[in-house]
Amino acid sequence: MTEGAPRNGRTGIDAASLAVGFSTALRRAGLPGSPDRAAWLARALRIVPPTARDALYWTSRVVLVSSRDQLPVFDAVFSAAFDGTSDPADSRGDANSPPAIGAEERIRAAPADQRPATTAGEDGELRAPATSAARGSSDLPPEPGRDAILAMASAEEHLHGKSFAELTPDEAAHIRRLVRRIVLSTPERRSRRTRQWAHGGATLDIRRTIRAARRTGADAACLVYARRRPRPRRLVFLCDVSGSMEPYTQVFLSLLQGAVAGARAEAFVFSTRLTRLTRQLSNRNPDHALALGAAAAPDWAGGTRLAESLRHFIDGHGRRGLARGAVIVVLSDGWATDEPDQVDAQMARLRRLAYRIVWVNPRKAGTDFQPLAGGMAAALPYCDAFISGHSYAALAEAAAAIRADRTESDRADTARTHSAGKQGKRNAA
Amino acid sequence: MSTAARAGAEDDVRRLVPDVAALMTALDDADYLADAGLATALFLSVRLPQPILLEGEAGVGKTEAAKALARVLDTPLYRLQCYEGIDAGEALYEWNHQRQLLGIRLAEARNVNVDEADLFAEQYLLRRPLLKAIEHPGPRPAVLLLDEIDRADAEFEAFTFELLAEAAVTIPELGTIRATHPPVVVLTSNRTRDLHDALTRRCLYHWIDYPRPERIAAIVRRKVPGSAEPLALDAASAITRLRSLDMAKPPGIAEAIDWVSALTVLGVERLHPAAVKQTWGTVLKNRDDLELAWARGPAWVAGGGHD
Repeated sequence: MTEGAPRNGRTGIDAASLAVGFSTALRRAGLPGSPDRAAWLARALRIVPPTARDALYWTSRVVLVSSRDQLPVFDAVFSAAFDGTSDPADSRGDANSPPAIGAEERIRAAPADQRPATTAGEDGELRAPATSAARGSSDLPPEPGRDAILAMASAEEHLHGKSFAELTPDEAAHIRRLVRRIVLSTPERRSRRTRQWAHGGATLDIRRTIRAARRTGADAACLVYARRRPRPRRLVFLCDVSGSMEPYTQVFLSLLQGAVAGARAEAFVFSTRLTRLTRQLSNRNPDHALALGAAAAPDWAGGTRLAESLRHFIDGHGRRGLARGAVIVVLSDGWATDEPDQVDAQMARLRRLAYRIVWVNPRKAGTDFQPLAGGMAAALPYCDAFISGHSYAALAEAAAAIRADRTESDRADTARTHSAGKQGKRNAA
Repeated sequence: MSTAARAGAEDDVRRLVPDVAALMTALDDADYLADAGLATALFLSVRLPQPILLEGEAGVGKTEAAKALARVLDTPLYRLQCYEGIDAGEALYEWNHQRQLLGIRLAEARNVNVDEADLFAEQYLLRRPLLKAIEHPGPRPAVLLLDEIDRADAEFEAFTFELLAEAAVTIPELGTIRATHPPVVVLTSNRTRDLHDALTRRCLYHWIDYPRPERIAAIVRRKVPGSAEPLALDAASAITRLRSLDMAKPPGIAEAIDWVSALTVLGVERLHPAAVKQTWGTVLKNRDDLELAWARGPAWVAGGGHD
């Protein structure tokens, strides 16, 4: 692939070698490619002769890219291969348009020792991020009294009540296996598809009735009723993987992974930025899935930008349908570097989209816990359930909260709290 | 693979769109302004031929592109709006049971014999968009638009693709219907979920970027008869400015068109702060966004450079 290559693209052989060479370069840069893509490109170059840089750019981009996320890599490789100097952004549209997911600059994954795939429980010490170190004194490992009682039960049951932050590596591995098997299910909603139903609350299905009637010579001998088929609501996890959550992320990721595989949940992790992990975590081999997930999110154990991450989630995914009518589970301690006001605003937006919001905060188990962390206090009025989830037993509680239906009085109550909370905040400000 | 069923574009199509530039001009004549990237994408989808997946923010003209392509090829557009729970009965075909029953009753009244073949004849078949596109008699392939494919279930996605790859439908009562002119397939997606790998593997892909102000102005002027060029350009730059704010629902081309229409009706010739104040509602449709723009003030939106 030299600079002269585009000009020579007219003959079949050159188009083919150009196509193969370029797609190989892209594959090396990490873009998924297949031999048929290269073949398509060779054919495409024959009908759109690459006489100019632009023609070659668009032709190869249309054929070789299969998702917007791949554009930055493609642009970089194209630029390196064919012009070496030009800025690929020149040939793409509006510089003012807000960057979409994946369009941001790529950051390399954190080195292995920062990923939660390593054992975080070894030192048994809570590592708080710099920003929250000052108020971090209240978060001692929870409930010694309860642990003492549980210690009398079998070793396994003892583990159930033990905080994830205190597990030894062996125990952690064991708990992660258990957590992966937690069965999560969401409340149902009615889908558009119908299913045959016994009478009673169901509506008459004329089409099915007539189809059945054809057998009996066109007399509708029996009426067929149908009802809209119930389907489970979508389940979305937003998991905080910042430094303050480090003792818990390992186990929570196992929970996410089980949910993605078992309940078709969507999984996102965030600390300074938001990463969608659904695809990585859906790998069949759990260890492999976790490794993929760890590699995909670049900012393990960083700071927390709660409001920013929520905003990215809502703008990039939630509003487009992911969050609508869904059960949203946020796993976070609510320690955030952004202003509580922003958290408040984003939670209000999320609330308008979601069916229920369940907040899992492992710090809640602490005896003297008060939801005073700025972000947490701001988010709390918008949550339908607030759960600790610091141990296996506590996660069972989270599963129950995920399963729960929304009651209308719930909503009315919280709606009042919101306006009151907002009012209060405005007055205070 | 769909290529097996579709060796290449037909002569007729080849003559109609000989190269990218010709398609661009033709799209322009069909009142659709496409840039080089989109034109290349559509050109390849017609000529390779391969289905093309168009993505982009709401309102950048994904659906319009398919419609314009159909106008250029002078063939019908069959549009299948996908939604959750869509099934073969709504996408492919269904028997018209009511008419069949009526046929039986009529035959009884007239004392005529009906056999089954009569009841499952073509006139009792309800053709849905996929079947229509496959049955299209030519001379050029129809354009099949699968709109918002991400809203349909994953199973439906797989079903559709199998069907298009075969370019044939088997109806048990009628036999197999094979496409003589397999349709040009355009898919659009809003990225509400990850599309299946099998689908992306079989499609060309194009991300439609949000256009620059000059292009928005050109599009607006096409769509709003009687709009003055300076006004369209003002509005387009104002919208681009608004989009630089961090908005929940950034205004798009549709908003630009609405806005310029409103301003034209009000008799405004150049955008000024007072006019902006008067017409906020056609551009910003979310209270948070409105507050955000309000904080910057109407003068900032109007640009303030020229008056």
